[in-house]
Amino acid sequence: MTIEIEFEGERLAARVGESLAAALTAAGVRGFRTTRDGAERGVFCGMGVCQDCLVEVDGRPNQRACMTKVDRPMRVAREAHARPLPPRAEGLPPTTADGLALRTPELLVVGAGPAGISAAIAARRAGAEVLVLDERSQAGGQYYKQPAVDGPGIAAPDAQHRAGRALIDEAVALGVEILAGATVWGAFAPAEFLASTGGGTLRLTPRATIVATGAYERGWPVPGWTLPGVMTTGAAQTLWRTARRVPGRRVLIAGNGPLNLQLAAELIEGGARVVAVVEAAPRPGPRATGDLLAMATASPDLIMDGLRYHARRRAGGAAMIHGMVVGRVEQANGGLRVTLRAAGGGATGPAFEVDTLCLGYGFEPSNELTRALGCAHDFDPARRQLAVRRDADGRTSLPGVFAIGDCTGLGGARAALAEGTIAGLAAAADLGHAAAAPLAAEGRRARADLARHRRFQAALWRLYAAPPYDTALADRDTLICRCEEVSLGAIEAALADGLTAIGAVKRCTRAGMGRCQGRYCAPVLDALLATRLGRPRDEYSGFAPRVPVKPIAIEDLARTPRP
Amino acid sequence: MSIDPGRAPPAEIGTLVVGGGILGMCVAGFLAAEGRDVAVIDDGGIGGTIANAGSLHVQMQSRFMRLYPHLVAGVEASLPLYKRAVAFWHEFTAALGADVDLKMTGGLMVAESREQLDFLAEKVRREVALGLRSEILERDALHRIAPYLGPAVVGAELCYEEGKLNPLLANAAIRAWATGSGVVLVEGVAVDRLTRVASGFRAETARGTVTAGRVVLAAGSGTRRLAACLGVNVPAEPEPLHMNITEAAAPLIGHLVQHADRPITLKQLGTGQIVIGGGWPAHVGGPRRHPTVEAASLVGNATLAQHIVPRIGRARIIRTWAGLNTTVDGKGVLGPVPAVPGLFVAVPGDAGYTLGPLSARLVADTVLDRPPEIDLAPYSPARFGPLEA
Repeated sequence: MTIEIEFEGERLAARVGESLAAALTAAGVRGFRTTRDGAERGVFCGMGVCQDCLVEVDGRPNQRACMTKVDRPMRVAREAHARPLPPRAEGLPPTTADGLALRTPELLVVGAGPAGISAAIAARRAGAEVLVLDERSQAGGQYYKQPAVDGPGIAAPDAQHRAGRALIDEAVALGVEILAGATVWGAFAPAEFLASTGGGTLRLTPRATIVATGAYERGWPVPGWTLPGVMTTGAAQTLWRTARRVPGRRVLIAGNGPLNLQLAAELIEGGARVVAVVEAAPRPGPRATGDLLAMATASPDLIMDGLRYHARRRAGGAAMIHGMVVGRVEQANGGLRVTLRAAGGGATGPAFEVDTLCLGYGFEPSNELTRALGCAHDFDPARRQLAVRRDADGRTSLPGVFAIGDCTGLGGARAALAEGTIAGLAAAADLGHAAAAPLAAEGRRARADLARHRRFQAALWRLYAAPPYDTALADRDTLICRCEEVSLGAIEAALADGLTAIGAVKRCTRAGMGRCQGRYCAPVLDALLATRLGRPRDEYSGFAPRVPVKPIAIEDLARTPRP
Repeated sequence: MSIDPGRAPPAEIGTLVVGGGILGMCVAGFLAAEGRDVAVIDDGGIGGTIANAGSLHVQMQSRFMRLYPHLVAGVEASLPLYKRAVAFWHEFTAALGADVDLKMTGGLMVAESREQLDFLAEKVRREVALGLRSEILERDALHRIAPYLGPAVVGAELCYEEGKLNPLLANAAIRAWATGSGVVLVEGVAVDRLTRVASGFRAETARGTVTAGRVVLAAGSGTRRLAACLGVNVPAEPEPLHMNITEAAAPLIGHLVQHADRPITLKQLGTGQIVIGGGWPAHVGGPRRHPTVEAASLVGNATLAQHIVPRIGRARIIRTWAGLNTTVDGKGVLGPVPAVPGLFVAVPGDAGYTLGPLSARLVADTVLDRPPEIDLAPYSPARFGPLEA
């Protein structure tokens, strides 16, 4: 079913249910907003994190196109920096936290991806009352994101969609309440949460909480990485898997890890011309046999998936390039010119002219809520990111707060499912709902599964081992902080001035002070300071956690959510 | 200046300033500018200045009058100091040649009822008697100069002496000036112990010990512990306060806006961002005793802002943080400690950032053994009773 929307005065046909980002991308729109310095930005993360696809929708400024569902005729305009706030005749009465709509679920699960849904099912089966909140308009998270469109000529759901659907349906049938379109943006110790939903604000004071907020894709700070048409692999995959739209006609996919290969197969199926898949890790040699064998033993079906993706890639004419990375992106001939470099520093490689570049260089855990609560975290030197400290059941250092899945450090969807079962049962038990024997047996099975999936992941990432993510390919003008447009040169100048604390660099350069809350620049800056100053990274070496973890419209604070 | 995060303090220094906030950096800069050898030690990360919002307050803040009615007399006596402090900010930043987004826009304290406006009228009368330029604006006159205010606002006090600056710009400029003047800056380490020795003072840190002829305590509420090391009572308390900042919008709010009866301060920075605060509580929490925000303050503070300025409702808050005010008795604690020769205290009164550079100048003058332009007797550290065991 299609619906007409208006964009900058022009009428466009959109599919009912797709995101505004998908509808505009399909119409060939690349630039969604302009920055303070006049640069164009478009869809980058595709998951509500980067704040670069902001548009005005029916007079409301700064709406994320990737998180706005087309469910009615809309008037949409490009957003610009610091536009006038629209008139509003009078304010709403001031309110207090006690005046907000309150929910007091026995168990709150934040995030309806594999980890969250699986935890909700386990806890519900053990007898707990469970409320799941998720920011997206449909449950499923990134891995199990559901098709938002259907109709003649639109590709039917695949096995991954169907597995997710079955899981969500099981949760709902068991009596788990899932509130989609609800962004948990505030977490306050010991156990208070604020969420925006239905145009208003919901306050939650659960007895126990499972944080399952997943991960987001890292940036790749090389010249040109902020240009419209450069987006994450996840963003492109969301366009295809939820809206059956492809991000461009000619696409280059570059990064590190198997998700890029899956995207290549999917976009080829969707009719895009994928010119190449560029993998930072070297081509697997004879020494990879052991790891491949370990993976095949742990999850043979995933190995089969990989082989199938490769077959589709080859059939679609997409080259596979190993040991190279994106070194530079420029605008050329109405599209992008992408120049590769040898991974780990070295020679310039081939260049490609494409409409869209997808970057999939790995993930950062979405640990904003656990950090805001004050849960203890440890720096994981192998993954070069913070991992929330927890016991074998997923309990963090704060009583009643669990963390599971990719928000604790990347483990993949299957590990997340197993962790969900384990933590769901543990949380229910802590709440006084002991699992009956068959359920307890499932918990034991989940532990065995988890060990297996961790073996798989360990072998997988040995296979995909690539040089670290840093500023080596950035030049002085390359933006490290996308939001505040802070270049590497500006950061170098602050360091040359003697600033050593990351907070001081933030206050001096404004890096990390923008709408995305430092999600892209913080890991880069923390690593840069650690290297330069010869000090270890730890849970305090990065930016201090700040709420709201996503920007929150002030009027929504004063309103009761629509049911 | 080279990067040296583990910089040890010098073994000996003429004057040691403890605390690298607005007071400490300015005192050190003023001393270094006159050729004195000065070091600043700052424990880094948590402090009032780094979390400051940049309001230049002159009129008595209704927040303060409500919370500390017994201290109103002290603040009222200091009003001319606030006026002079704002003028000093102008002289100081002009001398630095720094653009810190300093704007004298005037400050509005809005009223939502006749009673509140009557309260403001009485306040104006007292302030004018003390030499401030303030007046009452009734609804029509007010909405002509501040059309962004909502219909709930029936009138306001306009204090012409108030304004705002961007503290990020100001702090960076002051730091560059101080280090350029020769101040030795030792960051990220605390003074654990302070003792008297024959040549003056001994300060012990995790990175070594420094001996100083003179010591200036400019550590905000941390001054209490340091002064106590030397048997001196400075009853300074930390007061963590909630702050919000929005994404950028076109210029809308020129004034520094406060409320006659409710805790709120809001203003728009040159970046277009709107800063909303005004005394909603935060707390010190977590394993590191960090100032931490509270949900109740966020909701109460921000929804009050959109009630007064309706258009703010459409802006999004992108960040909140806890600022750290220091309270003593409504007045600053400034100048030499008579009982301990060579020891000086530099803790400003309420709205410490406004008072910062001037207070620092006055204290620096006493360190330089010259009479300050304002008599510091009312602000003497000697006014507190003996240290309780």
